Amino acid sequence: MKQNNKKGWQRIVGIISLLIAAGLFCIQLGYLYVHSHYELVYIDHRLFYFINIVCIICLLLGIFLLLSTTKRFKLIIAGLAVLLIAVQLILLSSNNQLVKSMTSLSPNGQHVLSIKKNLMTEEMVYYRSYFGIFSRAQERFPSDVKDEMKVEWLADDIAAITYQTDDNSIQQFIATYGDRGGGISYYYVGAQTHGTWKGEDVELISNSEGIMITANGETEHFDWENTQQFGTLAIVLEKDNEAAWTISLDENFEVDSEMIQHPDENITLYRATMDDNEPVKLQRQSE
Amino acid sequence: MKPLLLGISGLMITILTIISFIVYQKPAFFMTSPFEIDITERTADPADTGEQVQEELQPVDYNEPISYSLQNNKLHLTYDSGEDWTEVPIETDQLFAGDYNGPEQELIDNSYVLTEDRAAFLHTDTVNPEQERVMLTYSTDKGETWEESEIASPFPGLRFRKVDFLDDQLGYVIISGSRTMSQEYSTAFLTEDGGETWQQTNSPEETRLIADGGFVDESTGFLSLGTISPEAPTLYVTQDKGESWQLAEFNMPEEYEPVFVIAETPVRDGEQLTVTLNQGPNGDYAGGLVKGEFISDDNGETWNFSKEVEPDETE
Repeated sequence: MKQNNKKGWQRIVGIISLLIAAGLFCIQLGYLYVHSHYELVYIDHRLFYFINIVCIICLLLGIFLLLSTTKRFKLIIAGLAVLLIAVQLILLSSNNQLVKSMTSLSPNGQHVLSIKKNLMTEEMVYYRSYFGIFSRAQERFPSDVKDEMKVEWLADDIAAITYQTDDNSIQQFIATYGDRGGGISYYYVGAQTHGTWKGEDVELISNSEGIMITANGETEHFDWENTQQFGTLAIVLEKDNEAAWTISLDENFEVDSEMIQHPDENITLYRATMDDNEPVKLQRQSE
Repeated sequence: MKPLLLGISGLMITILTIISFIVYQKPAFFMTSPFEIDITERTADPADTGEQVQEELQPVDYNEPISYSLQNNKLHLTYDSGEDWTEVPIETDQLFAGDYNGPEQELIDNSYVLTEDRAAFLHTDTVNPEQERVMLTYSTDKGETWEESEIASPFPGLRFRKVDFLDDQLGYVIISGSRTMSQEYSTAFLTEDGGETWQQTNSPEETRLIADGGFVDESTGFLSLGTISPEAPTLYVTQDKGESWQLAEFNMPEEYEPVFVIAETPVRDGEQLTVTLNQGPNGDYAGGLVKGEFISDDNGETWNFSKEVEPDETE
C-alpha cells in the first residue's frame, strides 16, 4: 500500500516535471520567433541559459520518476545531464564576457528595469519589459558611460539610474512605467509641482521662474530650461551639464488639469550622486 | 512509453544544445539596438561648452542642388549644391523639440518644405516649455528674408508633424501631441495666404496615434490613424476643409484583410484618388514591404483595391 502511494506521487511529480520541461522548451522556441520578428530579447541574457538548465533538470527528474530503469542507466543519464548543464554554464560564462545585464525589480514586483551592455562595442541600452521575461531596446546610453551604475526606485513605477561618464560628470536617467493623470493626456511634471514642498531639512519651491531647492542650508536655483522630463512622472534638474536632482511624483500625486493643489500629496526629491543616499519625501505645503 | 519519452527528451536536449552553440559568441542574440532613441543626444550639448570646432558645411543630400545642413548646431540652406549657404533663424533644438527622440542629424521627414520657391520649417517655440507653441518659419526668396507664423499655442508634446503647400498660397500643417500611451490629439491647419495665417480645422473624435495625413486640394484632406497594432486601415476624409470628418470605407479583398492596415496620404491621379496601404510595423506579408494600392472614384469616401505595389515602385 505504501509502495503504491509512493509510485502515485512519483508519477504526478514526474508528469509535472515533463510538462514544465516542455513549457520551457516552447518558451525557448518562442524566443527565437519573437526575437527575429519583434526584436524582443530576454530581459536578462542569463535567462536563456537558466531556462536550458532548468529544462534539463526537469527532463532528468521526469525520466527518473516515470521510467523504471537500471541503476547503470540512471547513472549514464545523470552523467549526461551534468555534462550538458556544465556545457550551459561554460557557454553562459563565455557570453558573460560579451554581454552584461543589469536588472532591478520594482518594489511591488510589477516592473523590471533592464540595462544591457555589449562589452565588445561598449554599447549600453535601456530595455523596456514585455510579458514579464521579454524586453525591447528603448534608449541608448552615451558611449562614455562608466561601468558602475546606481539604481534607486523612487516609486513602484519610477526608477532613477545614476551614472558617471568618462569626464566624471554625473547624469541621471529616469525609467518610468506609469502615469498620474489617468493615462489620457500628456502633462508637464514641472507645472504640476508648482507650489511649496517641505521634507526633512529640505524645502522646494516651484513656480513660473523655475525651481529652488534648499537642502541643509544651501539653496540652488534651476531655470525651467535646465530641466528634462522623463515620461510623465519625473524631471531631472541639471546644472553645468550635470544632473543635480530628480523630482518624481509619488503614487498619491493627483494630476489636475485645473492645476488644483491637493494638500496631502507628495513628491520625492533625489540628489544625483554616486554616493549612497536616500530619496527624500516632500509634502505639499498650503499656500 | 519508454522509447518515446527518451526520444522526445533527447530531441529537446539536442535542439536546445544546438541553439546554445549557434548563439555562442553572438551578443546580438541577447541585445538589440533601439531604433531611434539615443540618450546621448539628450544629455550631451556641445553647444554649451563653447569648445566645438566649426565644421565645413556639407549638404545632407549631395544629389540635389537644394539641400540643408545641421552642422555646427545651426540650420543652413544651400541652393547650389553647397557652394553658398544661408542660415535659417531657428535654433536646432526647436526643430526636434516635443515628443521626439529620433536622430537629429537630419530634419524630421515632412516637417519642412524645401523647393526653389519656398523654404518652410515647422518647429516649436521652446522659450517656455510649459507654453510650447508650434511655429512655421518660411522664406519665399531663397533665405533673403524670413517670416514666422504661429500655428498652435499652446501645444504640448508635439509628436507627428507635417507641412506641405499645394500651390503658392494654399498649404496645410498636420500635427499631433499630448500623447499618453497610444492615445494623442491630432489636428490639421490650413492656410490660404502662403503661410501667414493658419485656420485650425475640426478633428476626428478618435484619438489613436496618427500615421499620416494630407490634403489633395483646398477642401479634401485625409488623416490616417492607428500606428500601434492596427488590424484595418483607419482613414478619415474631409471634403469641406476639415469642418467634418468621415471614416473612409475600404473594400478590402478577404486575403488582404489583416495585411494592409495603415493608409498613407492619398494623391490625386486625374479624376481619381490613389492611396497606398502599408503593412504596419509588424507586417510580414511577402517580406513586409509590399503595399496595397486602392483607388477612389468618389473623392476618398470609398476605396477599391487596385493592385499590389512592390516597395521600389512607391519610392
